[in-house]
Amino acid sequence: MKSIKLFVFSMVLACLTILPTQGFAAEQALVYGTTEKVIDMDPANAYDFHTWEIFYNIYQGLLRYPPGETNLVPGLAESYEISADGKEYTFTLRQGLKFTDGSHFDATAVKWSIDRVMALKGDPSWLVTDFVDHVDVVDTYKVKFILKNPVAYFPSLAASPPYYPVNPNIYPKDKIVRDPTELKGGKLVGLGPYKVVSFKRDQEIVMDANPGFYGEKAKNDRVVIRYFADATTMRLALEKGEIDIAFKSLNPSDIKDLQKSDKVQTITAQGPYIRYLCFCCANEPFDNKVLRQAVAAAINRPPLLEKVFLGQNAPLYSMVPMGMWSHIDAFKDAYGDGNMDKVKELLKSQGYSESNKLEFELWYTPSHYGDTEVDLAAVLQQQLNATGVIKADVKSAEWATYRDNWSNKVMSAFLLGWYPDYIDPDNYTAAFGGTAGSAGLGIYFSDAAWDKKFNEGQTETDMKKRTAIYHEIQNNWADEVPTAPIFQGTLYVFAQKNIKGILLSPTLQFNYGPIERVK
Amino acid sequence: MRHLAKYIITRILLTIPMVLILLSIVFLVLRIMPGDPVSSMLGGHAPEKVIEQKKQELGLNEPMAVQYVSYLWQVAHLDLGESMVFKQRVTTAIADKLPATIELTACGMIITLILGVFLGAYAADRRRQVQDSMIRLYGIVIYCIPVYWLGLMLQLIFGIWLDVLPIAGRTGPRVFASTFEQTGFYLIDTLLIRDFAAMKDVMIHLTLPAFTLGLTLSGIFIRLTRANMLDVLKSDYIVAAEARGIRHRRIVYRHALKNAFIPILTMMGLQVALLMAGAILTETTFSWPGMGRLLLERIYLRDYPTIQGVIIVFALIVAGVSLVVDIIYAMIDPRIRY
Amino acid sequence: MNYSPASALARVFSSFTSMGKKYGVEWWILVAGAAIVLGIVFMAAFPDIFTPFNPYDQAAGPQLAPPGGAHLMGTDNLRRDVWARIVFGSQTILRVSVLAAIISSMIGISMGLLSGFSGGILDRILSLIMDSVYVFPGLILAIAFAAMFGPGVINITLAVSVIYIPTYFRLVRGQTLSIKQELYVEAARAIGASSTTILWEYIFPNVIATTVVVFTLNVADAIMIEAALTYLGLGLPPSVVDWGMDLAMGKKFLPSGQWWLITFPGLMISLLALGFTMLGEGLAEILNPRLLER
Repeated sequence: MKSIKLFVFSMVLACLTILPTQGFAAEQALVYGTTEKVIDMDPANAYDFHTWEIFYNIYQGLLRYPPGETNLVPGLAESYEISADGKEYTFTLRQGLKFTDGSHFDATAVKWSIDRVMALKGDPSWLVTDFVDHVDVVDTYKVKFILKNPVAYFPSLAASPPYYPVNPNIYPKDKIVRDPTELKGGKLVGLGPYKVVSFKRDQEIVMDANPGFYGEKAKNDRVVIRYFADATTMRLALEKGEIDIAFKSLNPSDIKDLQKSDKVQTITAQGPYIRYLCFCCANEPFDNKVLRQAVAAAINRPPLLEKVFLGQNAPLYSMVPMGMWSHIDAFKDAYGDGNMDKVKELLKSQGYSESNKLEFELWYTPSHYGDTEVDLAAVLQQQLNATGVIKADVKSAEWATYRDNWSNKVMSAFLLGWYPDYIDPDNYTAAFGGTAGSAGLGIYFSDAAWDKKFNEGQTETDMKKRTAIYHEIQNNWADEVPTAPIFQGTLYVFAQKNIKGILLSPTLQFNYGPIERVK
Repeated sequence: MRHLAKYIITRILLTIPMVLILLSIVFLVLRIMPGDPVSSMLGGHAPEKVIEQKKQELGLNEPMAVQYVSYLWQVAHLDLGESMVFKQRVTTAIADKLPATIELTACGMIITLILGVFLGAYAADRRRQVQDSMIRLYGIVIYCIPVYWLGLMLQLIFGIWLDVLPIAGRTGPRVFASTFEQTGFYLIDTLLIRDFAAMKDVMIHLTLPAFTLGLTLSGIFIRLTRANMLDVLKSDYIVAAEARGIRHRRIVYRHALKNAFIPILTMMGLQVALLMAGAILTETTFSWPGMGRLLLERIYLRDYPTIQGVIIVFALIVAGVSLVVDIIYAMIDPRIRY
Repeated sequence: MNYSPASALARVFSSFTSMGKKYGVEWWILVAGAAIVLGIVFMAAFPDIFTPFNPYDQAAGPQLAPPGGAHLMGTDNLRRDVWARIVFGSQTILRVSVLAAIISSMIGISMGLLSGFSGGILDRILSLIMDSVYVFPGLILAIAFAAMFGPGVINITLAVSVIYIPTYFRLVRGQTLSIKQELYVEAARAIGASSTTILWEYIFPNVIATTVVVFTLNVADAIMIEAALTYLGLGLPPSVVDWGMDLAMGKKFLPSGQWWLITFPGLMISLLALGFTMLGEGLAEILNPRLLER
């Protein structure tokens, strides 16, 4: 009796071990691994780069960036006209486009979507409400945006997801959608090169090529985004060949190893993502600009990157990132790196010395920017203290408290990061240096002359003049130092050797269409 | 039988104050914390008015007593509120992750039982000999090894150096859970759709985490089994069996163990608390998408309703299991009567 | 009589072995546990004897150097010496766990005495509360407290101490209840001894022996909880040197082959917890055989 049971048990076990592990004909699909998370599948509220990336592929904007490029081309709109006063943009839409559920796309859908974004007041809605006064339907395929003021970079704004038209039949008018199950019909319906087949939060999104897409057909039939809870597993999965692509975010040690590996290919691009040190300019001690200058001079970027990121990422000497037009290395010219003499000189002029050190708290947030933050703060602290005239104490707060703290002026110096909302130097400067933006981020820097300059930069349409304006702004920045730039992120995509067509653009827009697996 | 029914009712009634106390502790603890959750949740762009409105919505302006009562009322209706950070009902979030934790805990428990019981019985059999001391030493040592460190070491050995087992997740990257997920218990789900390849994948992914969890707690069961077995082995009927000439191994592992087993089974219930604590640490180490990970994630995000909800569910499970265990014990052991 | 150090040592040694013969393996377990604990405590008290490096020094050696040479346990990615971090980390973990155990015991014992002695409604209510907390998984409670209090040595100590109060309470209350019934207590009452006298002179001394054992096991448990909390990123700021945190930070380097970042901190946590456990178990068997064989 017992031996029969044993026999049956071992046979079952044997069968299971022999069976192969491929379930769900998954060999063909392109599996793209990431440690990011999707928050709300709703252009009216999504404000993170990963969800925007998905939207680039399942939805479309009136204008768009071709994969890997930074110049705008027609998207859902074939063309547009700007009025003489620069406040009216009339878009002529492509005709005959249909959402993946068959409903027609026209100007009403555009207006409906913009009105919805404005009404729902989601996180990114300011990208619409700060600039757009209202939208008019001129014709079935002609829609007019009336702006509050002329804005030089409106077209790049119009290419961002909050402006994406959504299907009025599917999305509820009065609430933000988090999961596709909340939509009518339970599926995401769009105009992009892909349509979503199945969705499980924090697990996977399965997307098939959309046969009704107006643009270039996707080179692959199915893309699956596989969500990993930690970088280590993702790295191992890539090395074992279980996933085809890995993008955001691997640990520095993983990046280093994968770069050296001959099993995978590395694709890098300069990211638009910057990290910097903010000062609370409303309180002591950093209401004194000389002290801010001193701290900025103490930062020694190359060894910091070496330690924290094993040499990855690039030192940054201006709030306007490298690769953006008008960038100049303002801080390098003014201070260099780890300029001990300058630090001592500046601090001594304000009455500080080895026996009377400048004391302050250096704050960071431990998980919002990844877990390298702890190390970043530790190394920065050590650099500051090594000057001999500064005593910095490191403190941390989780993101929620961190935001509270900066509103309440609790943190005198704190680390922050920035992903751009739209590709323009304005987004890297006015957001921190303008009176309103600065207060919103706990920096509380205010200078009327600066505000005037930002305004000029926003409204000026001549490129040469704009460049000159932003040069001036950056040089002023190195003088006033409301924030001190530290480094600019490098984007790393790793893929199996037989994957082609990964085009990473500085806009962080990652299109799945051109990717294919070659034999 | 009437005695038993009365005992069961009394016991259930006693559970209520226990649950109430636990709920109250959870309520209190979560309101001591610093940091205003609402303003941070709404983002840096939100004006004062909107913050106030949201606070009003969530009832955070009410006096403590009112909040307490409405909190208890909600829980009684199995409504754990809505997440402060995401637009998601807490019960949905928990229901999504609970099966993963239960699956892990159950498998861990099986391994603990097998290891603990057999090693304990063996140690009792070889009392005061080298094997006994070794096994008892093992029991102490394994308990002192942090479960997450054991997990990391096993990951290092089996996942990286030997590369035979996966080190994270419930399924491999090319096995899409969204295609078979129904109950949330992947072993059952894959069986239901008869996708044995996926089932094998799920089992392989369960191996290291379940082993890690099971190993750490085996020490306690070794001691328990050994103690019970020592008692049982002294009893008369065992001596009689020996005198009758029944094979020694049969006596120990069949007759004695069966009788020592019942108190062990009930002890299992009390260990559920330890198992759940261990599960949280195991989940973080193996990136297992369960309640433990959910709890920690939401702690970082200061999502109070979800944190509260998770702890309440843990408390309810503990209270529930201890209730069931007491009742079973009462049913089995006629000496215990209220 | 011969008082040379050699003969003193010999006498200590022989008394050890005679105790060993008397109590068997439990004695040696106690000795081993005590040795481990004393060793680590010594290391915490006099760290400079054990390492020339400063655990915060970010230029102690090359980046991510494997164990060997000047760096017994290698270096981490910020070029800090791992062995130095182990040595100084012992201070943190000992400080937190011992202090937490002391706080727990003081509160738990006094409440247990009070409750067991007074009886009545107070006893019932306290017992109910304590039982509820006792049943609840300690780690989850500790996580909740640590998350709410925020990082800090005092905060984590408090978070850890709360969990064990019910253990002492139950033990002491039970003992108090049974001692209360003893004849000599009745006799003392008959003579007219006050409640305080009875509590202090009759009950308390009898309770102490068992609490010592529970105390050592408590410390062992507190060590595990402290390390678990810091591993999860709760409880302590990263500026404090701690084994659990080093484990969490070293985790990232697992597939890159830098095994020394997690092997040594974990080993030390296990060792320290083991030391106290062995001490406790040994003491238990010797002070009161079969006490813990529930």
